[in-house]
Amino acid sequence: MKYILIFVILTLISPAFAQRGKKVQFIGGARSLISHANFTSTEDDSVTAPKSTGGYALVDLGIKINPNKSTEILGMFRIRNNFGAFWGGGVSFDVRQLYVRGVAGKVLRYQIGNLDYKLTPYTFYNHNADLLTRSVGTLGVKEDIFNYESFYKENTWRQQGASINFALQFPKVVKEIEFNGFITRLNPTDFNNILERLYGGGNVVITQSKHLMLGVNHVSIFDLQGTAVDSNAYSNNVSTLTYDVSFGGDKIKFGVDGESGISSSGMSLTPDETLKDYFIHARAYMNLKKKNLGFDVGYMDNGADFRSFGAQSKRIDYSQQNNFFKRYTNNQIVRPVSMYDLYNDPNLYSVGIQTGIMDYNPAVNNALPYGIATFNRRGAYVGASYSDSAKIIDASAKYYYLNEIRGQGTTVLKTFNYVNVDAHFSLSNLLNWKKELGVHAGLVFQQTTRDGDFTFEEVDLSSLTLNAGLEIEFIDKLSLMANVFVLQSAGTDQLPVRDANDVIVNYSEFKVSGIETNLAGGLKFDFSKTIYLAAMYEWNKNSFVADNPYNFNQMSIYYVIKF
Amino acid sequence: MKKYGLILLIGLTFLSCRKDEIDLTEGPNLTDVYGEFSVINTLVASQSNVDYTSGQSVYFTAEISIISDWELKITGQSSGAEKIITGTGKVLEASSSTWNGSTTNFPMFQAEICDVALSFNGQTDTLFTTVTIDAPKTNAGFLLADFETGWVGGWTSFIQSGGNMDFNIKTDGSAPQLGSHYNMQGIVNWDWLVGLVNFNSAAYGTTTLPLSSNADNLYFNALIYGQPGLPNSRVLFQFDEDEDEGGTFNAVNEDQFGYEILIDWEGWRLISVKYSDLEGNGAGGGVHNPDKINAVNMLHLADPSSGLAISKLDYLIFTENAALNP
Repeated sequence: MKYILIFVILTLISPAFAQRGKKVQFIGGARSLISHANFTSTEDDSVTAPKSTGGYALVDLGIKINPNKSTEILGMFRIRNNFGAFWGGGVSFDVRQLYVRGVAGKVLRYQIGNLDYKLTPYTFYNHNADLLTRSVGTLGVKEDIFNYESFYKENTWRQQGASINFALQFPKVVKEIEFNGFITRLNPTDFNNILERLYGGGNVVITQSKHLMLGVNHVSIFDLQGTAVDSNAYSNNVSTLTYDVSFGGDKIKFGVDGESGISSSGMSLTPDETLKDYFIHARAYMNLKKKNLGFDVGYMDNGADFRSFGAQSKRIDYSQQNNFFKRYTNNQIVRPVSMYDLYNDPNLYSVGIQTGIMDYNPAVNNALPYGIATFNRRGAYVGASYSDSAKIIDASAKYYYLNEIRGQGTTVLKTFNYVNVDAHFSLSNLLNWKKELGVHAGLVFQQTTRDGDFTFEEVDLSSLTLNAGLEIEFIDKLSLMANVFVLQSAGTDQLPVRDANDVIVNYSEFKVSGIETNLAGGLKFDFSKTIYLAAMYEWNKNSFVADNPYNFNQMSIYYVIKF
Repeated sequence: MKKYGLILLIGLTFLSCRKDEIDLTEGPNLTDVYGEFSVINTLVASQSNVDYTSGQSVYFTAEISIISDWELKITGQSSGAEKIITGTGKVLEASSSTWNGSTTNFPMFQAEICDVALSFNGQTDTLFTTVTIDAPKTNAGFLLADFETGWVGGWTSFIQSGGNMDFNIKTDGSAPQLGSHYNMQGIVNWDWLVGLVNFNSAAYGTTTLPLSSNADNLYFNALIYGQPGLPNSRVLFQFDEDEDEGGTFNAVNEDQFGYEILIDWEGWRLISVKYSDLEGNGAGGGVHNPDKINAVNMLHLADPSSGLAISKLDYLIFTENAALNP
């Protein structure tokens, strides 16, 4: 033991501690939006009010207190006022963030209260399975807002609970062992039928050197027995192993990484119905550093009964309704959630883990509706990326070829082809122009097929997403924004209908032939990197609801401040 | 060598395959959902006659070739009462099609022959059978009023002297339960109150109504009729608690709980409320004591400016453990 010197260190230093000396800081943001929309559906629609005007102003005011060098307390509340609703009505006060974090005994980093947390892609991870392309320009402004509203930061989920983190460093054999643990509350008890539900877990990550990393991860969603009259407790346990082995030096680096594990999910009173399965995901990669090129090839096998709701919860709950032109036509049919709504309505986004299989939109993402942790998928993928040293081009492409593992209602399996191409061009770097001049384009194509002896077995569904935008700073701090977003989908699929226990009891035919086009243009004035004023105009046309296409124009003005 | 061994280990993990699940499927077979529809076993009642007063019930069986949304509609030939049971599947069996004599659409069933029709969503085929009710379902509880024996001595009333006033017990074939109901009709353009009836405990020969003391377990139920095209009636039920058991209710220091309903529907509808959910005047401390109710007051109200108000009332009953399942 005398040869081993153990250093106990802090593994991460919070940005908050960078500003030493300030015991009390004010942080937060403010935003104001005003918009006017003009909606048109069928010519004889005399029921739907065609115009909608609204807006709000909100302030998030946080007080960050550092009572000592190793403790930080943050409390943030929100004041929101809908326009035209002064003197009480339409004004709301909410607590937006509340936590205490710090370092105990110069060893243990902890946080209590709100946590933005993730572990690994198959245990606890906020996959973005509905917006498959990155955005700049007008959509970039909107994406920035709903990410802020929903606390989406680098694939973390906002939770309430506690977390700890510490690491041990060694001079030989093993470089570092890092320990992470968390416990959060998913729902409170009602003292009758609903048990207290918690979510906890952690991992141990062993970094042997820069060439070898191993991790052991475990998460568990579980009900606390005795917290309600009901004794039927739910649990979802996931244990995985992560690894990253690499070789090479400055010119070329290659290696293998991945994650494999097991899961179980069920109720305590019906142990025979517990779902158990496993998954394997491995990837070989090669980076040609001098050429700024990267390649990878991967294999995944996610069992049909693999359940990990910390990684399979979706950001969008498609079972909910829109808040914007919720119904239209004289029959007041429900307007389904569209891509426009995904970019415009932060209320559609969930901020918690759902213990159940959530609805999804096959037109948007049928191949991996729950991200890379989607169950019942087996196949391979290849990818390539290029990012030049002058930062002119940053591009990546990935192709997935996947199959179901277990057929739904038939032994014939669905096949999924999924291509995702993304490229960003910085013309200002190319032209050595000091002002911003960026063009971005993303393209996603998905196809789902299934053959069969019967017509009703056959599935053929394809979808194409195009997201292109540009930002040109034509006057100092004043940028022109322009965007094109297109989602086109056509074909048929058979979607499973599940009961309350997520067992498939029926199928519904998903038949689609539609296109949504969103053209947008606007101006953005950057007062600073964190304060901007943006005005935009959009044309949206949607034909996904057969016989009831609609379109609308919208003008919006955003004023965003972060401090 | 160690490095290569590790790579080999990871490679094996990389290439390992699960046991083939090619013969496994999840969910119902697609041929059971989208195949050709046909009737395998026709609709049959488990018994041709049913006596609900002796604890009997009847269920229906049938089998079709594909999973389908089905609707079982039982219609009383004499009363016109309807019971509708819905489900999804290929087979009707006791677990999904048992009928305990209850009613979906009023009036309630009588001793009568009932037509039973089984239809399937998207299919033209309908299967038929009949079942005879020898004795209709009875409901346990304290019956406050069903107006079958006329005006009960001990009930009191106040009817405004407005226009078109008609507060009377009617036996005209429109009652949802048995033959009679209480009609409430009139125009009162100076007051919200059109008329009221006090169902006093004295009418039942007791100082307080014979009810359980457990307010969490006691439900008040009534059948109320909404006149088509006249959604202006309201019914307010007041429950007077004689908490000091002095024989009279004193609103100054004793609790009165109330339940007001805007009758904005058409036809007969069952309303049920748990006694502990009623809101009170707080005069007696606000504790629900249903065993101390000495009167239930029914007030028929309407906005004075809304003109003619019409509603009907029948089958006022307190039930324990659950709301009335008529």
